[in-house]
Amino acid sequence: MGRLSVQELSVTYRAENHRLTALDRVDLKLAPGRIVALVGESGSGKTTLGRALLGLLPASAAVSGQIRLDDLELSGLAETQWNDLRWRRVAMLFQDAAGSLNPVQRVRDQVAEPLRVHRGLTLTEARMQADGALAGIGLDPALGTRFPHEVSGGELQRALLAMAMILEPEFVVLDEPTAALDSGTKGAIGRWIRQAADAGTGMLLISHDLELAVALADEVHVLYLGQVIESLPGPALLNNPMHPYTLALSRSVAGLDTHRDLGGVRGDALYRVLHRHPAGTGETDEHAHLVGSAVSHAECHLPARGCLFTPRCTQAVAECSTREPALEECNGHRIRCLRGGIVTELRLQGVAKRYGDAHALHPVDLELRAGETFCLVGESGSGKTTLALMAAGMLEPDLGERVFRGRPMDSWPRQDRHFLARHIGVIQQHPARAVSHRLSVFDIVAEPLRIQQPRLGRDALRERVFAALRDVHLAREPEFLQRYPHELNLGALQRVCVARALVTEPSLLIADEPTSALDPGVQAKVLKRLLDLQIEKGLTMLLVTHDLGLARKVADRIGVMRAGRIVERGPAVRLLNHPEHPYTQELLRGSFRQPIAAPVR
Amino acid sequence: MLTWRGHLLAYLLTALVMVYLSYRLPGWLPGDFVTAMYADSHVVLGAEQEAALRERLQVDGGFGSYLLALARLDWGTSHAFRVPVSDLILNALPWTLLLMGGAHLLATMLGFVAGVEAAWRRGGRIERTSVGGMTVLQGVPEIGTGVLLLMVFAYHLGWLPAGGGATLYVDHGFAERALDVLRHLALPLATLLLAWFPGNFLLARASMVLVLGQSFLDTARAKGLPPIRVRYAHAARNVLLPMATRFGLRFAFMVTGALVVETIFSYPGLGTLLFNAIGARDLPLIQGIVLFSSLAVLGINLVLESVYARLDPRVRVYGRAL
Repeated sequence: MGRLSVQELSVTYRAENHRLTALDRVDLKLAPGRIVALVGESGSGKTTLGRALLGLLPASAAVSGQIRLDDLELSGLAETQWNDLRWRRVAMLFQDAAGSLNPVQRVRDQVAEPLRVHRGLTLTEARMQADGALAGIGLDPALGTRFPHEVSGGELQRALLAMAMILEPEFVVLDEPTAALDSGTKGAIGRWIRQAADAGTGMLLISHDLELAVALADEVHVLYLGQVIESLPGPALLNNPMHPYTLALSRSVAGLDTHRDLGGVRGDALYRVLHRHPAGTGETDEHAHLVGSAVSHAECHLPARGCLFTPRCTQAVAECSTREPALEECNGHRIRCLRGGIVTELRLQGVAKRYGDAHALHPVDLELRAGETFCLVGESGSGKTTLALMAAGMLEPDLGERVFRGRPMDSWPRQDRHFLARHIGVIQQHPARAVSHRLSVFDIVAEPLRIQQPRLGRDALRERVFAALRDVHLAREPEFLQRYPHELNLGALQRVCVARALVTEPSLLIADEPTSALDPGVQAKVLKRLLDLQIEKGLTMLLVTHDLGLARKVADRIGVMRAGRIVERGPAVRLLNHPEHPYTQELLRGSFRQPIAAPVR
Repeated sequence: MLTWRGHLLAYLLTALVMVYLSYRLPGWLPGDFVTAMYADSHVVLGAEQEAALRERLQVDGGFGSYLLALARLDWGTSHAFRVPVSDLILNALPWTLLLMGGAHLLATMLGFVAGVEAAWRRGGRIERTSVGGMTVLQGVPEIGTGVLLLMVFAYHLGWLPAGGGATLYVDHGFAERALDVLRHLALPLATLLLAWFPGNFLLARASMVLVLGQSFLDTARAKGLPPIRVRYAHAARNVLLPMATRFGLRFAFMVTGALVVETIFSYPGLGTLLFNAIGARDLPLIQGIVLFSSLAVLGINLVLESVYARLDPRVRVYGRAL
C-alpha cells in the first residue's frame, strides 16, 4: 500500500482577462486507512485539489508542484497513463450524486463499467461482480437494473460508493458524499466510509459538513482561498479551533446538540485573482488581488499581500496585511496566523477577593479568547459579579494578576487607564442605578466618547451616538434624546446602558445581566445585535447571567460558579449536554421546563 | 396518465378526424377539374356537356361510403391520369422515400457526428468557424442551392443528369440501373443535405455542449475510460434524443418537404405528383396525397414515441416502452 501526497501544489485557472488562484502551495499526505478531510467555504479550492489527484483539471488550469503516488510523479503524465491509474488506484466521487451517473444507462452497467475497461471482464462477469458489490453495500441487486432517475438519492450515493470501490483502489476522493441526504442515510454512509477506510483505503473527504468531518476524519485541513489555514485533529474542529476562521466556521454549524445561535464568517466570500490593469491605469505588471462579488470592485480590490484572511479577520493588526504567515506548529495544530491563532483578550490568574472574613471569590483563573462568548452562570452570591467587575478593571483583586491584551492591568500607568475604558465596555447589573439622573439620554450615551475622544467633532459625535442607539433599537428623535432617566421605563433604560457600553466600539464587553430588565421581544433583538457585532467586529463577551436558557443561545463556553469558585467550565455544547459537576447537573435539572408540582404534604 | 391502449385510441380518433377533413377538402378548394381542364382549351363545352361531365366526376356518396371505399383501399380515380389514386401514390412513394429518407438519414448522421466532434473541441478555431458557417448556410433556401447545383453540375459541367429519377426506356443490368438511379439522386440529395445538415449539426453541437457540462462525464473520465468511450457511450448517447425528435418531425413532412426540390429536379416523387395534381385541380389525387401524408405524420409520431423511450428511459410514460 502506498502513499499519495501533494507538495507545494498550486493551481490557477485562466479566465477572460485574469487568472484565478485556486490552490496556493498546498501540502497534503494521504495514507492507507486514514481519512483526511478538507473543509472550507465554496471556492476555497477543495474540489480543485481532489480533481488534481486524478489529473481531471480543465484545460484552463495551470498546475505547479508535485503529486506523488508512491514513487510515481503524477503531474505531467500523459492522458493514457492517467487513464491507467484512474479508478484502478485512485477513484473519485463528485459532488451532486444525482448527476454523477449517466441518465440513459442502467445503474448496474455503470457500476460494472470499470471492470470491463480495466480488467477486461465480459459483460456477464462484470454484471455479476457489480451485483455483488451492490449487495455488499446493502442495496437490493434488482436496483441495479434500474435507471438512475428511478433510484432514490441515498441509494444512488451507495451505488456510487460501490462503484468507487469496485476495483479496490488504494485511494478514494469523496466530494460531498452526504450532501442532500437525510441524517439516517448520512449516518449509514458515514459508517460505511469509516469501514472502508479501516479496511485499508485512504480517503480524502471533501465537505463543508463540519460535523461529518469531525465524525470521520483523522485529520482536518481547513482551506481558505487556496491555502491551508489550519490543520488539526478531527475532534478539535468544533471544540478547539485555533484560527479565527476555523472558529467562525465552527460557529456556522447547525449541530443537533448545539444550542448557540448560528454565527457565520464576517464579510463576503472573496476570490483571489492575478491580473494586470490596462496600460496607463496604475500597475501594469501582473499582481495579486482579492476580489469580491457582493461588494463593489474598488471596495474589495484588496491587495493579496500578507495574510489572506486579513479583510475578514476580527483580530487583524497592521502587520497582518504586509507579512505573509507560514503554516506553523502550535499545540498539536498547524495554523497560518501571525498572531499565533486566536489571541487571548483577557487573562485573569488566581484573582481573589475577600470582604472581611467573607471570601467573595477564591483564587480563580479565567481566560477569554478574542471573539468568544463566555457565560458565567450560578446562583446569587456565587461571586459572578465580583469576577466580572475585576475583569472590567473596576474592582481591584486582593491577589492575582490580570492581563488585558498582553499588558498587565494593575501595573498600567494611570494616564493609560483610559485605554482600558475605551476597549472594555461594561453593562452594569441595575440600569437605573448605573446612570446619572442628571444627564439626558443623549448625554449618557455620549459621555464615554467625550472623555475618550475629546477632539471628536460635534457631528461625528452625534453620528456615533445615533449609531449606538440604532444598534439597540432606540429612537433618535430629539424629544427622546432630551429625556431624563426617570422618564424612561426600565427596558429603555437598559438599552441606553447597552448603547453606552457599545458607543466606544470596545473589543471586550462585560455585561452583568444585560437583558434582565428587557421584555422578551427586545431581549431577543439586543442579543442578536450583540452576536452580530461579535461576527462583524470580533467582540469578546463575558456575560453574567442566571438565565441558563439565555446562556445556551449565546455562549461558546460556560463557567458555573458556586460559593466563589468556578466549579465547572467547558465548551457550552459539552457542558450543557454532559454536565460533570453535580451542581451543574442540579442547575440544569432546575431550569428546564418542567411543571412545578406543589410539595406533597 | 394514459394507458397505452388509451393512447392508441387517441391516435385512431385523430386519424378519423384526418379522414373526415380530407373528405371535406374538395368542397373548400376553389375551382375544379373541369374549369382547369377546359378554361384555356380550344374545345368549348356546351352547358349540357359541362353538367354531364361534372356529374360523371362527382362521386359523393356521403362520408360513410367514403370511409368504406378507403377501407377497401379504393382511394378513387385520378381525373387527369384515369388510373386509381392508390396506384399513383404507390408508384411515387419509393422515389420520395429514397430521396427524403436518404437525405434525412445522411443529414442526421453526419450532423450528429460533426456536431459531437465540434462540441468536444469547443472553443477551437475549427469549431467557431464551423458554427458561423453553418448558421449562414442554414439560412440559404433549398431553391437557391438547388438551382445553383443544377447550373454547375448538370448544365456547365454536365457530370450529372438534370432531372428525373432514372433514365427511361433503357434496359440495364441491376448494377448499371442502381448506378443510374444514384446519379439521378445525387443532385437533389445534395441539395437537401445542404439544406438540412446545418440544422442537425447545430442541434447536435448545442445539445452536446449542454451534456458536456454535466457531472456524469467527470465520473466517466475519472473511471479512466478511453476518450472515445467517454465521448460516444456517455456523452453523445444523450444527444440522440433531440436528434431523433428532429428526424421524426422533419421526416413526417416528407411530402411537402420534398415539393420544392422534387419540382426543381422533376423527380418522380410524391412532391411532383402533388404539384401537378394541384395544377390540374385533380381533386381525388390531391385528396389522396393529403390524406396519405397526414396519416404518415401520425404513424411516424407513433413510432417515434416508442423510439424515445428506448433512447431515454426518463420519457417512459407508460411504465414500459411501447
